[in-house]
Amino acid sequence: MAAAANEPQSVILTINDIEIEVPRGELIVESVKRIGLEIPIFCYHSRMKPVGMCRMCLVDVGFKQPDGSVRMMPKPQAGCTLPADNNMVVYTDTEKVRRDRKGVLEFLLINHPLDCPICDRGGECPLQNNTIFYGPSTTRYVEIKRHLPKAFPLSKYVTLDLERCIQCGRCVRFTEEISGDSQLAFRFRGAMMQPSTFELTDFESRFSGNVIEICPVGALTSAEYRFRARPWDLQTKPSICLECSNGCNTWFDYRVASLVRINGRTNEAVNEEWTCDKGKFGQNYLNSPDRLTEVFVRDGDKLIESNWATAFQQVSVAFQSAGSKCAALVGGKASNEDIFMLKRLFTEAFGSNNLDHRWTRCLPKSDALYRVATSIADFENEPVIFVFGNNIAEEQPILFLRIRKAWFRNDAKVIVACPEACEADTFAHTSLRYRPGTEAVLLGAIHRAATGAGGVDIAEASSITGVGEEAIRRAADAMKSGFALAASRSLLDLRNGEHVVGALSNLTIACNSSEKYNLFATSANEEGARQIEFMPSAEGKNTREILEACASGEMKALWLLECDPLSLSHDNELVTKALETVEFLVVQNHIKSECVQFASVLLPACAFSEKDGTYTNLERRVQRIKPIIAAKGSAKPAWKSFGELLLRMKGDPPPFHAHEVMQLIAASHQKFQSAIYENLEGEGVVIPANQSTEPQAVDVEYTAMEVPSNTP
Amino acid sequence: MPETRLLLKHSGDAAYRSIQGYMDKGGYAGLKKALSMDRQAVIDEIKASGLRGRGGAGFPTWIKWNGIEKEKTKPHYILCNADEGEPGTFKDKELMENTPHLMIEGMIIAGWATQGDVGYVYIRGEFVDCARAVKKAIDEAYEAGFLGKNIQGTGWNFDMYVHLGAGSYECGEESALMSSLMGERGMPRLKFPHAPLPTVAGLWDCPTVINNVETYACAPYILVNGGEWYATLGASTKNSRGTKIFSVSGHVNRPGNYEIEFGTTLAELLEMAGGMKGGTLKACVPGGSSVPILNAEQTMNAVIGYEEMVDAGSMVGSGGCMFLNEHTCIVTFIWRTALFYARESCGKCTPCREGTAWMEQILDRIRKGGGRMEDIELLKEICSQIDGRSFCGLGDAAAWPVAGALKVFPEEFEYFIRHGHSIVDGPEYRRMAPEPLTPAKV
Ligand SMILES: Cc1cc2nc3c(=O)[nH]c(=O)nc-3n(C[C@H](O)[C@H](O)[C@H](O)COP(=O)(O)O)c2cc1C
Ligand code: SF4
Ligand code: SF4
Ligand code: FES
Repeated sequence: MAAAANEPQSVILTINDIEIEVPRGELIVESVKRIGLEIPIFCYHSRMKPVGMCRMCLVDVGFKQPDGSVRMMPKPQAGCTLPADNNMVVYTDTEKVRRDRKGVLEFLLINHPLDCPICDRGGECPLQNNTIFYGPSTTRYVEIKRHLPKAFPLSKYVTLDLERCIQCGRCVRFTEEISGDSQLAFRFRGAMMQPSTFELTDFESRFSGNVIEICPVGALTSAEYRFRARPWDLQTKPSICLECSNGCNTWFDYRVASLVRINGRTNEAVNEEWTCDKGKFGQNYLNSPDRLTEVFVRDGDKLIESNWATAFQQVSVAFQSAGSKCAALVGGKASNEDIFMLKRLFTEAFGSNNLDHRWTRCLPKSDALYRVATSIADFENEPVIFVFGNNIAEEQPILFLRIRKAWFRNDAKVIVACPEACEADTFAHTSLRYRPGTEAVLLGAIHRAATGAGGVDIAEASSITGVGEEAIRRAADAMKSGFALAASRSLLDLRNGEHVVGALSNLTIACNSSEKYNLFATSANEEGARQIEFMPSAEGKNTREILEACASGEMKALWLLECDPLSLSHDNELVTKALETVEFLVVQNHIKSECVQFASVLLPACAFSEKDGTYTNLERRVQRIKPIIAAKGSAKPAWKSFGELLLRMKGDPPPFHAHEVMQLIAASHQKFQSAIYENLEGEGVVIPANQSTEPQAVDVEYTAMEVPSNTP
Repeated sequence: MPETRLLLKHSGDAAYRSIQGYMDKGGYAGLKKALSMDRQAVIDEIKASGLRGRGGAGFPTWIKWNGIEKEKTKPHYILCNADEGEPGTFKDKELMENTPHLMIEGMIIAGWATQGDVGYVYIRGEFVDCARAVKKAIDEAYEAGFLGKNIQGTGWNFDMYVHLGAGSYECGEESALMSSLMGERGMPRLKFPHAPLPTVAGLWDCPTVINNVETYACAPYILVNGGEWYATLGASTKNSRGTKIFSVSGHVNRPGNYEIEFGTTLAELLEMAGGMKGGTLKACVPGGSSVPILNAEQTMNAVIGYEEMVDAGSMVGSGGCMFLNEHTCIVTFIWRTALFYARESCGKCTPCREGTAWMEQILDRIRKGGGRMEDIELLKEICSQIDGRSFCGLGDAAAWPVAGALKVFPEEFEYFIRHGHSIVDGPEYRRMAPEPLTPAKV
C-alpha cells in the first residue's frame, strides 16, 4: 500500500506479544526476523515481488481495537505478502498456525516423488527442511501420485524434473522480474500446472543457472551436475568469477580436488546473489586436459618437458642479454600480485619499461578517459542511464541486471545505443540503433540536441547514423539534465575509438554528469593492471609498439602472462609476425593457447582456484581469492615465479605469501593501502580513483568511419 | 410471494433487445436522469437502494462506487463481470441476450458516478451469442449518443468494449478476471490488506469498479424510481433489498430463470418452477455449486436473503438453484462437483491445487466402491485445510460443498463406503454417473 506522504515512515506492531517498530509497509515475513523469528517459506524470495502462492507462511493476524481488545482476522494471512501496519497483532506459533503449516506441507508432499535419496537437492532442500520442522511425520495419501516427465531438458544446461516441482513460481518470476527474458511461464492449470518455456522451445537465457539455485526443491537441476554428488559430500569455499570484469562472488564446490559446481555467493555490492551462465557453467577448463601443468623448453622445433630451474636459467640468460629490448604483455586473468611482481621483474631486473595490459586498437594517453565513477550498486538508483556501444548483457551481464533493476524497480530511464538488437532494448526509454561506424556522429547529434550547441547537425546525423531525429531528441531530452554512462573500453577497438570516447566524455561534461562517466574494463583484472600501472612510462613501448618491435626484430625477448594475443589483438597478422620473429618468447599460462607453438619456454601457472591473490573489478573493488584445490603438476602462482627469478638475478628476498605482495603493492601504490588482506573478507574493498583534475572537454572529430561493406 | 419481474419484465419481448424497443419501454431514462444529477447524488441513490452485488459475495455496491477517487488522477475503469461460470447459474446469459441495454445502461450510470473512462464487459468464452448481442447493443448505444464522446451534451466521454474470455471458471474471480483482461494468465492477484483495493488500483493499477451483470442491470431501475422505492422490495429481510434472479435447474418441472423479491422462500421458488419432477425433494443447492447443500427440511424452511440463507445453512451465492430429487446420489453429485473444482483450480496456491485434486481422487475411489471409513474424517480435514487457507475464493468454494454434504448427508457416505454402492441405486442414479461404474456389490 502506498503510504501517504504525511504518514510517519514507521509503524508499531506486536509479534508474538513483542512490540516492535518497523518501516511502514515492511512485509511481516521480514519483520519477524527482527526479533529472531522465522516464518517458513517456499515461494517468497526477497529479491522478487511477493506472490503468496505456496501458503507456507500463513500466520494469525489481528488488529488492536481502540478499546484495547484484539480482533483477530477470521482467516490466517500470508506473512510474505502482508505489509506491517500500526496496531497489527501477529502470531507465528499458535496451535492453529502449526496446523496450517502441517496442512500445506501435507498437500505439497502428496504428489512429491520423495526421491530424496537420489535428488541433487537432498540435504540442502527447503522442502526437506520445512518438513522436518513443520511438517507431518506421515502421509494420509493413498491415491496414485501424479506422474510427469522426470528429466525434461529445458536447455543444454537446465533439466526439469516435473514431479518434484512444487509450483512455487520462483523460476517463472525470475525470468520475468530479474533476467527479464521471460523465458518461463506456467502451462496448464490446477494440479497439472507446470513451469515451461513457451511452445517448449529452448530455455534461452544468459542467466538460466540462477533458477537452479532458487528452486526450493530439486526440480530444476543442472544438466551437468545432475546426480554427480550429494551436497554433504561436497566441500565449498568462496571464490570470484573471472569470466568478465564484474567480479561476481561465487561458491566453489569441489570434491576430490576437482570442481563440481559453481553457485552464486551473496555480495550485495557486486552481484547480489546472481551469476550469469558463463560464470556458472563456464569453468570446466579447470579440469580440462588442455591445462598447462609442466614446464617446457624449446629444443629445435620441439618443446620438451623440463623443470623450473632449467627454465629460469634460460629465461634469465635470454632476458639479460636482451638488455632493455624486452617486453611483457598481460591478459585479463592475471591477479594484482602476478602483475605487480612481473612489473618489478621487468623494471628492477631487466631494466625494461615495455609493459602493457591494454589490447584495444586505440590507446588514449588521457587517464581521465578511462575513469569509472559509478559503483555497480549505485546504478540501481540512477534515474537516467545511458548504455552506449556494445550489448551490455553480453559484456557485463550482472551489471546489466542492475541497470534492468533500476528500470524495473525505480523506473529509471535507460537510453540504449547499440548497433545491433540487444536485451537492453526491451526496457529502453529510447533505443538508438545506429549504423556501425557512426558512433561519433550519433554522439555529436545527441550533444547538439541536449545542449543546443557543439556536436553535429541533427538532421544530417540522422541520415548518416540511420537513427531517427525524433529518437535522438527524445534521448537527449532525457539525458540533458544528467545521466550515468555505462560504456566499456571495447569502444577503443573502433578505429576512431579515441574520438568516440572523447565524444562521450564531452557529452557527460556538457550534461553536468562528468562525475557519472564510466568506461568499464572488460576483463577480470584489467582495472587492476591499470591501477598498478602496468603500462609503459614515457620511454616505454605500448602493446602495439611492442608487437611492431618484435615483428621488426628490434625487440629480442617477449613475456606473455595469461594472455593469448591471437585472440586479444585486432591485428592477427602483426601478432603472428611478432611471435614468429621475436627471438625468445616466454608463455606463462594456466591453459594451452595457440601461441604455445611459438614459445621458447612454457611456464605453467595456477588457475584462480589454485592460488592466493586479489582481483580488481570494474568498479575498482579489490576482492580476494584463496587456494581451494591443489595446483596441477608443477604449476605455481605466477607471482611466486617472478619472486624466485628476482632472487636468482638480484638477490632480493622473495615474498612468500600473497599478502606480502599486497603489502608491497600498497607501499608503492598508495590507493591499495586499504586493500591489505585483513580488510578483504566480506564485500572486498573499493580503492579510490586516481586523483584527476576536473575533466576537460577534448577535441573530437564527429565523423563517421568507413566500415567494410560486409558489416551488418 | 409470486415472481416479481423487474429485470426480466421484458425478457420475452424480442423488440426489447434493440435500443428502439428498449427506449419505448422507458430505457435510458435512468441514465438521462443520472446525467442530470450530481455524481455523488447518483451514488447516494444506490446507497439508499441497499443494492448488494449479485455476483456471489453480496458486497454493498455503493461502497465500491464511492471508493473511486473523486479527484481524478488516472483513467477510471468500469468492469462488468459477465463470466458466469458458476455451475447452475445462467441468469447473466439471459440478461445479456434478452436485455443487453439494461446492463449497458447500468454500466454507463456507474461510469458517470465514478468519472469512468472505459467500460469492459468480460464475457465467458462460451457465451458467443451474448457477446454478439452485447456488441450490437453497444453499437446502438454509440449511435444514440449514450456512449462515445460528449455523452448527451455533458462533455463526458465514455467508451465500452466486449472481451471474450478463454474458458476458465477462475477468470470470473474479479482479480483473475483483471489479469486475464490485461493479457496475463488467469490467476488471481493479491487482495486487501495485502494490496490496494481494485477501487484504488485495479485494472492497469487504475481505479476500477467491478460488478456483476445483474448488479449493473439494477441501476437503471434504481435511478428511475429512486433508491427508496427499490429498498421497499425485500424489506422483510434483514439486509437484502430488491429482486434477485434465480436460475432454477435440477429435478423440477419448469427449469429456468425466476426473479423474486428478497424474502421469498425457497419453497415458493420451487413452486414457481413447477415443483419437483420424478420424485420428492431430497436436497437443494440454492446459490450455485459452491454453496453448501441443504436437505429437504432445511430447504422448505429457507427464506431467501443474504443473512437468512446463512441462517438456513447455505448462501444466496450467484442464484444458481438446483433442486435434487430422492433418486439423487449425494456422493456422486458431490464427486462431480469436486471434479469441476479440481479441473478449474488455477494452480496458483497449494491448498486448492493439491487439495481439490486429492478430494476428487478420494470421492472417485468411494464412488467406485473403494471407500474407507476414515475417508470421511480425512475429507473433512482436507476441507478445513483448504477453506480460508487458499489464495482466492475458489478454494473455499471447492471445500464448502464437500464439507456441507458430509455434514448434512453423512449417512449417504457411510452407506456407500460400507456397501460399495449408493444408497439410491436406480436408473436415475446410473444416468447421472458420467462414466461406467465399477460393478457395485449388491
Ligand atoms: C472462483 C470465483 C469465481 C467467480 N465467478 C464469478 C462469475 O462468474 N461472475 C460474477 O459475477 N462473479 C464471480 N465471482 C465473484 C467476483 O469475484 C466478484 O465478487 C463479483 O464480480 C463482484 O461483483 P458484485 O459486487 O456485483 O457481485 C467469482 C468469485 C470466485 C471466487
Ligand atoms: S521448478 Fe522449482 S522454482 Fe520453478 S515452480 Fe517448480 S519448484 Fe518452483
Ligand atoms: S484458490 Fe488458489 S489455486 Fe485455487 S483458484 Fe484460487 S488461487 Fe488458484
Ligand atoms: S512464502 Fe508466503 S505464500 Fe509462499
